[in-house]
Amino acid sequence: MKTHLLLTATLSALFAACATGKVSRIEPTGDRAVTTVGGIDIKDWLTASEAMIQSLLNSGRVVTPPDSAAVMAISRIANNTTQQVDTDLLVKNIRIALNKSGKIVTTTTVGLGGTAEDPLAKELAAKRAAAGGPNRIPDPSYTLSGKILENRQQQGSEKTTSFIFQLSLTDVNGIAVWEDQKIISKYAKRTFLGL
Amino acid sequence: MKTLAPCLATLAAFVLAGCGSTGVNTVERAQPVGERHLVSDKRVITDRTLDRAVRIVGMSEGATPDGFIKVQVEVHNTGRWKKSFSYKVEWFDASGVIVDTPASTSITRQIEGGEALFLSAVAPNATAKDFRFKFMETP
Repeated sequence: MKTHLLLTATLSALFAACATGKVSRIEPTGDRAVTTVGGIDIKDWLTASEAMIQSLLNSGRVVTPPDSAAVMAISRIANNTTQQVDTDLLVKNIRIALNKSGKIVTTTTVGLGGTAEDPLAKELAAKRAAAGGPNRIPDPSYTLSGKILENRQQQGSEKTTSFIFQLSLTDVNGIAVWEDQKIISKYAKRTFLGL
Repeated sequence: MKTLAPCLATLAAFVLAGCGSTGVNTVERAQPVGERHLVSDKRVITDRTLDRAVRIVGMSEGATPDGFIKVQVEVHNTGRWKKSFSYKVEWFDASGVIVDTPASTSITRQIEGGEALFLSAVAPNATAKDFRFKFMETP
């Protein structure tokens, strides 16, 4: 009877250990992150934003005022995928990289439809202007807009999903001075019995 | 035994067909118009298999219209098989301190057997002066 209890306890402990598994922190940009075929993974966002940053910096199409950076406002980034995503996963990386490059800074007080990313900064600027102070909110020289699209193909046990990231940088004249797109395609094949 | 040999031969044929080698044929201008500014490099090879599939041929340097450094590495798959690999570029300032970038991610690429690829990168800002490419094998 004692042996039976001991065996049960040992097996329970073993199963509990197996169920917990091993959890570890990983490099978000590395190759150990989980890759899914159906969704946009963190590495996809990083890859897309990296490609866009490289393209924009390489283009040399951004004209900056002497001794300062050009001001950019964020326009609509449409999500036309089946996923519910926050487009800041793409845009914020680009904003940070452009800010660190010294070429472009982003305004947080000018937004689409009059909405500001930082309402307090907008309110304070309005107060300053009402008190007769200078209106410190600069007009943006550029706006960033874009779209994220999705394309799915399946044939038998094989599946391909492509996510298309499109961005445009438009100047004050309404001309898209820079445009690019990055396509990330992922392939999966269902194995025998789904194993 | 008589039936085993044909079975094994068929199985081997299937396996070889599944691992079918790929190759890339190329053609280009005999006297290129563009002149590459080649950079002398220092290599540390710890993975010989990866070095065969992603052999570093050379490295060239240029600049963007804004004066940011632009680098390009040419790699060549000396084998016959398609290979997946990833690479990451690290940037350093004039003091040798790493320049942190928000999206400095390892980029996954595939190279066919015999194919040559160019991998390029633009410095994140004007202070970035040196760089290092890291290559890794991916499953």
